[in-house]
Formats: sequence, structure tokens, C-alpha cells
Amino acid sequence: MEQFVIIGLDAANFMLALLLVSLGLVIVFGLMNVINMAHGEFFLLGAYTVVVVQDAGGSFWVAFFAAPLVLAAVGLLVEEIVIRHVYHRFIDTILATWGVSLAIKQLVIVVFGPASQQVVGPFPDPVDILGTVYPSYRLFIMAVSVVVAAGTFLLFYRTKLGLAARGVIANRLMASSLGIDTRRMDRATFAFGAALAGFAGAVMAPLMSVDPQMGVGFLIPAFLSILVGGAGTLLGPLLGTALIAGSNTVVASLWTQVVAQIVVFSLAIVVIRAFPQGLTGRRG
Amino acid sequence: MPNGRARIAVTAGLWVVFAAAPLAVDDWQLTQLAQLMTYGIFAMSLAFIWGQIGLLCFGQAIFFGIGGYAMAVVTKGMLPGLPESTALGLVAAVVLPGLAALVLGQFLFRGRGLSGAYFAIVTLSASVIAERAASHWTFIGGFNGLLNVPPLRVGWGGVAAELVDPLPTYYVMLGAAAAVFAGLLWLDRSPLGTVFRGIRDNDERTAYFGYDVAAYKTFGFALSGAVAGLAGALFVTQFGFVSPALIGFPLSTEVLIWVALGGKEVLLAAFMGAIVVRSVEGILSETLGYYWLLALGVLFVLSVVLLPRGLLGWLLRLPMPARLARRAEDGLPVEVVNTSRGRPTGRR
Repeated sequence: MEQFVIIGLDAANFMLALLLVSLGLVIVFGLMNVINMAHGEFFLLGAYTVVVVQDAGGSFWVAFFAAPLVLAAVGLLVEEIVIRHVYHRFIDTILATWGVSLAIKQLVIVVFGPASQQVVGPFPDPVDILGTVYPSYRLFIMAVSVVVAAGTFLLFYRTKLGLAARGVIANRLMASSLGIDTRRMDRATFAFGAALAGFAGAVMAPLMSVDPQMGVGFLIPAFLSILVGGAGTLLGPLLGTALIAGSNTVVASLWTQVVAQIVVFSLAIVVIRAFPQGLTGRRG
Repeated sequence: MPNGRARIAVTAGLWVVFAAAPLAVDDWQLTQLAQLMTYGIFAMSLAFIWGQIGLLCFGQAIFFGIGGYAMAVVTKGMLPGLPESTALGLVAAVVLPGLAALVLGQFLFRGRGLSGAYFAIVTLSASVIAERAASHWTFIGGFNGLLNVPPLRVGWGGVAAELVDPLPTYYVMLGAAAAVFAGLLWLDRSPLGTVFRGIRDNDERTAYFGYDVAAYKTFGFALSGAVAGLAGALFVTQFGFVSPALIGFPLSTEVLIWVALGGKEVLLAAFMGAIVVRSVEGILSETLGYYWLLALGVLFVLSVVLLPRGLLGWLLRLPMPARLARRAEDGLPVEVVNTSRGRPTGRR
């Protein structure tokens, strides 16, 4: 029983972190039709924000609030310098953002070295929950992720801004004819997506080995999540991350992490092939 | 842009330079150059599937790696009942990756197949799967790979010799590269090549003309996989060592950068992209250290944004034969500008 609770909690933990990364990806993809291969590096930069702040003697909480702001700025910069020049060349956005990802990762290696960094998270003491002992920081991450994800959904489904954004997703030309400034929307979207990834990186940093390769480890599951769930709506990643993170955690607990990756990635490819619009998408 | 005749001259001149290279370089450099040839073949396999058919494959190293592993397993005599034969190894190293690409292509392209970004992400994931699987399959050496892969053996019957000297090895590799170049160029100029370009520019319209687009894509993908497998096999016979690094995601994206920088639509430009980037890397990576990859990443972004056709394509693009030249002036393909910003799989 205890085993099941721990697996369930681990799965929920992984899913929520993945959800934060995937939401940024799916918003950028849906709104701007940009496949952002540098999204994993935004996650990475979020984690290194914590490293920088803690090296400077700051507390984790400073980084907690700084990471999304830093990454929003990085997102604006990347959008301005690179992305806006390749909007109309869909495949080239993949290549250009891949180059950006390579450059950011290498910049991190130049500045911090290739070794992994130590980050100290708050709440070191575990707590009792559902008859088992579980790290309290993980519970905190889950709570925060739920709040942030819910906030994102509220923003998109309950505000005027969100309505405009969903309008652009549904029909860009129509939205711009109705007076929505799609250019401004693009910049805001990209910065927002980057901020979400950076925030996820910051909160996950104390749980992971913070090294220059950590971004890719989240990028691929996040992509598979939005494709499995469906990239046309924000509900897609919710379902996709639940499936990917859930199956990954269960298989990893039965065998090893490597087997889990092989099995889950393969299944995801089959699902994507069978449902090219994603599980929540309209059947073609 | 230089005219057609000048570009033919540059292309021919490059091959002459490669043929004469042993006169100018020492043995060590020649060994390096022979290895670069196999990277060049690998780059041409990607340029073929990406530049000619329009399929951006993020997992080309899967086939390079399968080729390398197949060659190693056969020539090391690890399969009971099979002789340790170079010829058999080469056959396995071409057929197995070709089959793998055929099966994957059949799976991905049939019916309402995947294309564009979906294809890229699926092949990206497949390369991670392949790398993980290779590093945990103990028969092929797991994480450590296989050591002591024998060099190529040439000759007939009792007279067989191992290719260890740099000079003959170099010429065998150069010959293989030239043969792959000639073969793929011939295919490009054949009626089949025209269909491939049609699929690249607009696969829906090509389908309306009655072509079985999925079958063509699958065939092209299998061919590209087989060529990549050949490159992998030739590579390991020189390197003497095969490891999961040859099959995974990092090498898959590295070859993508060579091809994009060189010019994906021109075989020789992709080939030169591999040769130049790898040579410069050999020279600069010691002095620049980590800054080298940073510079490469920035250069790659600049090239994608400013010169999406690569840095060398304009110089090495061969003119189309007269039969095809009238419609596509001077060998430049007719651009199809897609003004709608629909989703990649189309929600029509």
C-alpha cells in the first residue's frame, strides 16, 4: 500500500513539473506555430538562476520569484533576435530554436563548467502523508504547480486577454482583423512560455542534478506530452503529461528508468501515429 | 551566383582536389580525411531525405549506428555460423538500416501520415530510444560498445589483405563517397527525383496527380537509411570501435548542423558541410574549447535565419539537365509559398 502511495505521489510530482514545461510549449506552438526546441534550455536557465542566487548568498525564495522574470526577459530577447525572423518558415523555427538551444547550453557550460551544481531547497524535513513518509518539498512543488497551472488556465479561459489569445490560436488572420495586435501577443506569449519553463526549472532544481544536460531530459517528454494529448488546446497537455509521467513512473518502479524511457517513448510514438491530432483533438 | 558551367567546374575541381589530396598531406591527416569521407557520406544521406524529399529527420544517426553495429557484429564473428567477412558485414550494414527505415517509414507515412514537425519530433524520440536500447543490450557491448572492430578486408579467395595503410584506405573511402554522390545525383535527375521534389514542394498536390506519396517517402527514407548505414559501417572499420554515441541524439543533430550549414538541397554542399565543420572543429576545438560549440550554435542560428539554403549551396548546385531546366530556371526549384499558417498536420 505504502508503495502505491509513493508511486502515485512521484507520478503526480513528475506530471505537474512536466505540465509547467508543456504548457509553455503548447501555448507557444498553438499561438505562434513555433516548435520551440530551446524550451528545455529555458528550463535549464531557470535552474541555474537558483544556482546564481544561492552562490551570491541569496535565499531560494529570491530565485523562486526571480527565475520567471529572468526567463521572461530571455524569452523576449530570443523572440526579438531570432524567432520573429523565421515565423513564416515553419520548419526553420525548429532548426533556429535548436541552434538557440545549443548556444544557450554551451554558454551555460562556458560560464559554470560542465559539472553538476548543488542547490539547496527549502523544507528539508519529510512529512507523514497517507501513511507514508514523503519529502515535504515535493509536496510543496505539487501545490505550487497546481496553483500556477490553474492560474494559466484561468488566464486563458476566464480573462479578456486569454480570450484574445485563444482567438489568435483558433484563427490568426481573423483575430488580427478584429483588431488584436498579434505581434504584441506573440511577444507576450513567448515570454510567458519561457517564464513558465524557467519557473519549472527553478522549483525542480533542488530535486535534480543541475547540469547543462538537464534541459533535454525534460524537452522530449514535454513534446511527446503535447503531441499525445493534442496541441490544439490547453487541455491536451493536461492529459498528455498525466499519461507520460504516470506510465513513466509506474514502469520505472517495476523495472528501471531506462526501460521506462524506452517503453513510454515507443508507446507515445504509436499513440501520436494513431491520433495525429492528439487524444483530445478532433478525429480526422 | 556563378553560372551553371562554373558550378560544374567547381564541383569537378573539388573531386580532383580530393583525389590529389594524398600528395599534399601527411599520413595522419590522410587518416583523418578518410574518416571525414564517411561523415560526408552520412551527410549526403540526410541531404537526400531532407533536401530532396523534404523530410526533416532528427534521428539519422539511428541508421548510421545500426550500420556500424551490424558491421562490427559480423566482422568480429559474433554471429555463430556466419563467417567474419567484410562483404557480408557491408551487406548487413546496408540492408539492416535500410529495413529499419523501411519499417519506420511504413509505420509513419501510411494513410494520414506524419510530416513536418511531428516527423521531426518522432524521429528525435526514436533516436533517444535507440541510444538507450543500444547502451543496455549486453550482446552489443552495452554502454561500452564493441572494441577491436577489424579494418576492411579486400581481395578474393586466398589473396586477402586488411586495409590498414592510410593511402589505400583513403582511396576506398573516397571511392565510396564518389559512388554515393554519383548514385544519389543520378537518382535526383531521374524521373523518380522529379517526383521526390514534387513531394518536397507540395505533397498534397503530388498525391492529387496520382502518386502514392507514402510509398515514395518510405522508399526514399529506406534508401537514405541504407546509405547512412554504409557510412556507419565504413566509419567503424577505420575507428575500430562502435559505441552507443554513434546511434544517438547528439550525432543525429550534429549531422543536421553540417547539412544545414553546407546546404541541404545540394549533395556536395552537404558533403562539404560535414568535411569543413569537422575539420574546423579539429583545429579550433583545442584552442577555443567550449567556445567552439557556442560559436557553431550561433553560426547555425545565423545561417538558418539569414541563409536558409546553406553557405555552399549557391556554389555547388549543379544545373538541371536540359529536359528539366526549362521549368525550373537554372536548377532553382520553384518555391511554393504556403501563405496559410495552418497546423502541421492540417485541420481542413
